[in-house]
Amino acid sequence: MTSPLQIELKAVNKYYGNFHALKNIDLAVPSGTFVALVGPSGCGKSTLLRSLAGLEETSGGKMEIAGVDVTDMPPRKRDVAMVFQSYALYPHMTVAQNLTYSLRIQKVAKAELRAAAEKVAASIGLTELLDRYPRELSGGQRQRVAMGRAIIRNPKVFLFDEPLSNLDASLRVQMRKEIRALHDRLGATTVYVTHDQIEAMTMADHVVVLRAGVIEQQASPMTLYERPTSKFVAGFIGSPAMNFIEGKICDNGTSVMLEMAGAPKLDIVQKVTPNMPVTVGIRPEHIRVAPSEECDFSLPVTLIETTGTMSYVSLGTAPELSLMLTDRTVFSVGDNIGLVVDKARIHLFDPKTEQAIT
Amino acid sequence: MRRIMMSVVDGKGFDLILVGAALIFLFLFSGLPLLYNILMSFQEVDMFSLGKFFRPFVGLDNYRALLSQPAFWPIMWNTIVFVTCSIGGQFLVGFSLALFFNLNFVGSTFIRGLFLVSWVMPGLVVGAIWNWILAGDFGVLNYFLENLGIIDEKIFWRSDINYSLWAVIITNIWLGTAFNMILLSVGLAGIPEDVYEAAELDGANAIQRLWTITLPMMRSTIGAVVSLGLIFTLQQFDLFAAITSGGPANSSNVAQYWAWELSFRQYDFAKGAAISTLMIFFVMFAAIVYVRSTKHEVRG
Ligand SMILES: Nc1ncnc2c1ncn2[C@@H]1O[C@H](COP(=O)(O)OP(=O)(O)O)[C@@H](O)[C@H]1O
Ligand SMILES: [Mg+2]
Repeated sequence: MTSPLQIELKAVNKYYGNFHALKNIDLAVPSGTFVALVGPSGCGKSTLLRSLAGLEETSGGKMEIAGVDVTDMPPRKRDVAMVFQSYALYPHMTVAQNLTYSLRIQKVAKAELRAAAEKVAASIGLTELLDRYPRELSGGQRQRVAMGRAIIRNPKVFLFDEPLSNLDASLRVQMRKEIRALHDRLGATTVYVTHDQIEAMTMADHVVVLRAGVIEQQASPMTLYERPTSKFVAGFIGSPAMNFIEGKICDNGTSVMLEMAGAPKLDIVQKVTPNMPVTVGIRPEHIRVAPSEECDFSLPVTLIETTGTMSYVSLGTAPELSLMLTDRTVFSVGDNIGLVVDKARIHLFDPKTEQAIT
Repeated sequence: MRRIMMSVVDGKGFDLILVGAALIFLFLFSGLPLLYNILMSFQEVDMFSLGKFFRPFVGLDNYRALLSQPAFWPIMWNTIVFVTCSIGGQFLVGFSLALFFNLNFVGSTFIRGLFLVSWVMPGLVVGAIWNWILAGDFGVLNYFLENLGIIDEKIFWRSDINYSLWAVIITNIWLGTAFNMILLSVGLAGIPEDVYEAAELDGANAIQRLWTITLPMMRSTIGAVVSLGLIFTLQQFDLFAAITSGGPANSSNVAQYWAWELSFRQYDFAKGAAISTLMIFFVMFAAIVYVRSTKHEVRG
């Protein structure tokens, strides 16, 4: 990348007592990038974000923001703005006062305050609400105030900690776009924490997958989807989740035998040691229904869930296999259907290390 | 009777009974004596007419007589000094302690609880203990002040007219601090941590956070603490009885103690009642501030 690094973390560690919450985190974020930190609940996303903000003291490593070592700097000197999951608005201040709090701390002249508040309010649709108190706002409006409070400061880095998790589904989709648009408009550098991989995939330039305090993989969204380096990432990214079936490489080394009824064989493109046991990963969207003559294997249907645009079909085998269809299903529960797998998109994992075999 | 029982069972009207019982109780034990006291302040009362209800009406004579006493204004001034300094001291010390315990170090909850001991002790006992502490020739307070080099010679706290009021104020601050601290602690605990974090990221240092977040968000709690403090302080009688008895030469006398002295030492019940009536206005004022402050909850 050509743009200078806005955030650089080197071997950052964090302990809570004996609990090792962050393990050797290395992260380099070029200026203007939208980074998503994603992972299951409790994996250390918030801890990492709060460490970057200075709200948590790290136990080792180095953090730089815009080339300045901030490792031991208090939060107020780091020039980062954060949008909290709870919004953390100042309940005793109006929207305008909330927005201008940082400016008032900086002793900006009174005359400029209102103008600054109005400008930011206009950009995020809060103009009508400037004189209301937070308790008089809806969840979505509070969310906007929290964002406005960050925007008005024009900080070096924007930090978001699961900002959309308290909103309803449709508002969440809308805010997703708005936050990304805002990021582009401001040319900001953003670190966005979420447990929702869809948010991460749709919003970010660069996705960091965290698991139990370790960076499992970091890459662009499409790279994560197409080339997950571990079973964990493969299962975490993509919805519905990837199917995992145990299998074994055949004698010839060019196909894999699945451990399920009929022991079907699938051709593979990877070069793998013959006879090696593997975990085969197949995404639900890479399986299609086919007439029985040309199918790889056939399975009975146990459940069909239809949203109108999509059908999610569960197939009876252990563990259950799921597939995703965009066309209308012509079968019903109990039918045996023939299936074809997109061979080029099969993922193989070592069952012991759970790492991808390439 | 059946209807009353029914109303208890189905809940309708039960609320009225509860409110009614409380109001009747309040009226019998607080309202009537209050009204009787006001009435008495406009009558001529002596030992012989004490048991009667109808006594000669004298208009504002009792009040005029009070005002013409040379002790009146000094005692009123003492009352003001006593009330403001007690409340101010209790609040400052209580708030500092509340902030300190809000750091949540190991054992903070337990030690904070121990502080309440001072508040549950009867005023007379506290007064007796402080008599020892304040004692001129062997008291601990003088010992400390002398060793710290703050004073050169012993202060006779209880018998020096320049210090006697302060002896009671210091004791009263000690007595009321714990109450202030507990209420303010509750208020502090009600401020979410993330609001402080947001302010910190917005650039506010510790003092700025205190002024712009803590104090404004504690407004209703502070209002309640100060107005309750005003009421308790205006009621404070035990400490005066135990420490200075209002003396020497009325130098530590305050309205509430003077009212008792007039009524039950000099048996001038009418003047005692007149002072009490005057004090009702102050207490009413505090009560209004208190009720208003609890209404103005600003929580998000
Ligand atoms: N103040 C704390 N003290 C002890 N453990 C903590 C503290 N904060 C978080 N943890 C632990 O650290 C881990 C990571 O927490 P967190 O960063 O909040 O996870 P998440 O990815 O859900 O945001 C969790 O296991 C949590 O229990
Ligand atoms: Mg979190």
